[in-house]
Amino acid sequence: MSTSTSEKASENRKVTLKSCDDVEFKVEIPVASRSILLKNMIEDVGESDQSIPLPNVNEKVLRKVLEWCEHHVNDPQPTNDDDDSRRRNTEIDDWDQRFLNVEQDMLFEIILAANYLDIKPLLDIGCKTVANMIKGKSPEEIRSTFNIVNDFTPEEEEQIRKENEWAEDR
Amino acid sequence: MSSEKLLSGRATKQNPLPSSSTSHAKAATIPSELILQIFKYVTSTADLKSCILVCKSWCRCGVELLWHKPVFANNASLIKLLITLSRNTQTFQYSLLIRRLNFSFMGEDISDQILARLSSCERLERLTLGGCRRLTDVGLLKLLEKSDGLVALDVSDIENLTDSVVELVGERCRRLQGLNVSMCKKISDKGIMVVASKCRSLRRIKLSNCDNITDESVIVLAKNCSHLLELDLTNCNQITNKAIKPVFENCTQLRELRLACCAHLTDESFTRTTPSLFEQLRVLDLTSCTLITDQTLFKIVHSAPKLRNLVLAKCGNITDEGVYHITRLGKHLHYLHLGHCYRITDHSITHLARHCTRLRYLDLACCNQLTDASVFELSNLPKLRRIGLVKCALITDQAIFALIENRVVAHTLERVHLSYCVNLTINAVLDLINFCYRLTHLSLTGVHAFLRPDVQRFCRPPPKEFTPHQRQVFCVFSGKGVKDLRAYLNNAFIGQQRGRITGGVGNAEDQVVQQPITTGADIEDSVISEAEGVGGDISESGEGDNDTGRDRGSIRHRSRNMNPDGDEGDVGI
Repeated sequence: MSTSTSEKASENRKVTLKSCDDVEFKVEIPVASRSILLKNMIEDVGESDQSIPLPNVNEKVLRKVLEWCEHHVNDPQPTNDDDDSRRRNTEIDDWDQRFLNVEQDMLFEIILAANYLDIKPLLDIGCKTVANMIKGKSPEEIRSTFNIVNDFTPEEEEQIRKENEWAEDR
Repeated sequence: MSSEKLLSGRATKQNPLPSSSTSHAKAATIPSELILQIFKYVTSTADLKSCILVCKSWCRCGVELLWHKPVFANNASLIKLLITLSRNTQTFQYSLLIRRLNFSFMGEDISDQILARLSSCERLERLTLGGCRRLTDVGLLKLLEKSDGLVALDVSDIENLTDSVVELVGERCRRLQGLNVSMCKKISDKGIMVVASKCRSLRRIKLSNCDNITDESVIVLAKNCSHLLELDLTNCNQITNKAIKPVFENCTQLRELRLACCAHLTDESFTRTTPSLFEQLRVLDLTSCTLITDQTLFKIVHSAPKLRNLVLAKCGNITDEGVYHITRLGKHLHYLHLGHCYRITDHSITHLARHCTRLRYLDLACCNQLTDASVFELSNLPKLRRIGLVKCALITDQAIFALIENRVVAHTLERVHLSYCVNLTINAVLDLINFCYRLTHLSLTGVHAFLRPDVQRFCRPPPKEFTPHQRQVFCVFSGKGVKDLRAYLNNAFIGQQRGRITGGVGNAEDQVVQQPITTGADIEDSVISEAEGVGGDISESGEGDNDTGRDRGSIRHRSRNMNPDGDEGDVGI
């Protein structure tokens, strides 16, 4: 298939995305194609003036996600087989760090959107950011960081603590 | 597991999908698939433990990760895990969560009793017990009783093991892909034949130092396991050409083939029986296959054009012609060991340096016809990290100056072996250590200019088994020793003596006591080989890194960590 020529032709063409709160975004196809979900949709549908509804993403989050896609528009597409190398690397580059320096709710919204839209690199850095917030904290500190209610009974919690006592850092 | 049900029952209610437009995403409402995704980046065991104590849904997500491949800080933490497994009521059925166990770092702490207490781990996939020498058949038979799903087993260096363990593995673990029984001296054809005929998906098998192994089981292995990627027959000295023929005929996927010290092998192994292309072959070790000649190299280079590591140490028949064949590997070749190939001359080495420009590691120990001309050419290799010139006695200071004149090599060189290059002076070597800032290892054993107490005090202690004389001439600097030597020589010589250095550093003041030492001749080659890492030692553990059990240690090191392609070191895929 002549993917390269079709990519070239699509360079300046745009696609319209509609957030769940009915705000439309006109986006260049290569930018939208950072999302595998959108990429496949665009390829399937072919040329169309109809907007693509995104019922799981609101305007604020979609704007943010598209900002990321635009900045990373020229990144190589991630391949399936480098899962492990992605996992080993816990570094997040400066731009991405600044990009994700947002309210916690927004951070989780971005993660959910990246998951829904299938943007693996964005999902990865989002998850890494949350993982970094966990590092070195006690269970209680984690709960208060993320506002999570402890739903264990004291007995359950104590048993799990005992059962996993072996897990220490070497 | 009533409590387990309780946990999961309640947790489903707890996970409503985020509602669309007005959703305020919170950690507590994130679907578990994403929690799991986040936990994959929580790499420390202690952090993961904190996570599972946060709430029930985090607990269910994290517990599998935490137990998948338990990592133990020490023996005490292993004991704590065993206590959990023996509890009557467990929140989760923990033993079934364990998929991988690696005890190779705990060695002697691991007993048959410990393995027996782990026998409820029926879903084990990878078991690494290398070097757990106290283990016997009893513990392993108990542990493996139900481990049908085992994919990789490493029992290297457990001397007590017999064929019954290997036979059980063959009978039960049909999905086995990796088996490492290196140094299990009691293992014989009987056990290997069972594995070879039952485990058809075997990919990696290491039989190094299993000297009971004969052609018989290797032939079955080669005929049945055509997916083999790695075959290690190092020191299986009963192996003959007969076993190698089917290997070459059937195992065309081979990436790594080690035949070191299979001294019966002749050119016939390679010239008559390599019909097809071995596109995947990257590593070939023929150390001490003393009968092979240039003809073998001709054939190998044609059949395996992408060889990356080629070890030909002590293949004494190899001549310049053989090296010319090798140069056809061009930039694919990263690692070449020609130690003790004493017929080789400057002609072929200069040719090699011009064609195999990606060489990172080159050993030419005891190629005593080589002169500065070879080193001049080698100094152009842009990636050279390690160069071995032990006993290349014709080498002079000019060679060293050439090495550093090339700025690139000065940036790359990490390990330089110059023992018994008797003409070298402090002057040249000091330049070398000043320019090669990455240098972590420098050997100068038997080099007169360095056999002086003020310099030798920075060298590391000689191996215990060395004789007093060997100790006297021993001069190997590594790590901090290199730095200290650099600082000392710069202080002692640059300041006060550089101007007068032409007079010969050795005679300078500084209360230098020249030892009346004769070097070279009376230390046997074999000792040097071992001490200088000449004997095909691919890992960089030569020169007596470990004081005890060094021989064994270095072989083990090699079989575990030798990883020229950067993929995972353990057996299996």
